[in-house]
Amino acid sequence: MNLLRLVWVFAKIGAVVFGGGFVMIPFIQREVVQHYGWLTQQQFVDAIALGQITPGPILISATFVGYKVQGLTGAVVATLAVFLPSFLMTALAARQLARLRRNPRVAGFLRGVLPAVVAMLLMAAITIGRSTLWFDWRLLLLACAALLLLVRFKVDAVYVVIGAGAAGFLLERG
Amino acid sequence: MPDSDTACDITPEASRSQAVSLLSLARVMLKVGATGFGMGMVGVLQQEAVTRRAWLSQQEFGDGLALANLLPGPIAVDAAVYVGYRLRGWPGATICLLALLAPAFAIMLGLTIGYLNYGQVPQLHGVFRGLNAAVVALVLAVAYRIGRSSLKSTPQVVLALLALAAALLHANPVTLVLACGVIGALTLVPRQKVVP
Repeated sequence: MNLLRLVWVFAKIGAVVFGGGFVMIPFIQREVVQHYGWLTQQQFVDAIALGQITPGPILISATFVGYKVQGLTGAVVATLAVFLPSFLMTALAARQLARLRRNPRVAGFLRGVLPAVVAMLLMAAITIGRSTLWFDWRLLLLACAALLLLVRFKVDAVYVVIGAGAAGFLLERG
Repeated sequence: MPDSDTACDITPEASRSQAVSLLSLARVMLKVGATGFGMGMVGVLQQEAVTRRAWLSQQEFGDGLALANLLPGPIAVDAAVYVGYRLRGWPGATICLLALLAPAFAIMLGLTIGYLNYGQVPQLHGVFRGLNAAVVALVLAVAYRIGRSSLKSTPQVVLALLALAAALLHANPVTLVLACGVIGALTLVPRQKVVP
């Protein structure tokens, strides 16, 4: 019963949550804390925090909720359920897009969408940066150095990520 | 320095004459899932799938990001599924999703069990702030690469600036992407040759 409910709630979350990141937090909170009472408010805040320090999507916090409700099975079920709707929609849309892109109207649509995509990426960088980098010039400098390494010198992202984490650790201590 | 980013735009189809193996898809997605934090995954994914391996052109990857913006789900996860589907159909999409999530799932499970037993979230503020700087850089790198290879006409640059202004004014992202697409369909239709 609990498993079915987990599937239903997380598939619903996965189907209506756009863009990922922080947009979905209030929605998930309403379902998981207020409606079903699976987590206390503090546990929910901590689950999101854990999702952030874990690589991968922040939505992986679903694993936490699933585990809390039904152990390992719950963790697997909740995690798969939350990504299933967007997985199906994206694959189906990719299939259509491959066919449609020869249509001139669709080509025009895509030409118009790319500027929006660039704008959304810039906006994402601003939103993420605003919460931490804005108040610390050293972190701002770190971000600029990381950008230079990635774009100009084509350094593997793995080293940039590890280096930035280490630099953040040292900055806090020093 | 010659830019490999733009080079693969010239022959997007020719660059992947042979099918990418599911194993190499899985390997790349494991790497993306293990190093990318949140939106940072988009940057790692682009570096691996476009810049390094030329599995897709910048243009095709950009189309995938457009889809990801229009559909529910985290952008990076949608983009990975799109890459998988484009390269190897349903098996590719499935492998990509599972491999992308595997590192996050394993680590999150460990942290959850630790938390539920000890009631503590690891205090990693410094590391987390450093990682955030890397995420911002990774996202900006994607914007730079796609912008450079895809925003080729003045109307597109103007559209990008208008879209950014609207986003700063809290316009709904899905509406914004759709609106720009409609403007494109009405005004940016290619005349002689169709976009590959």
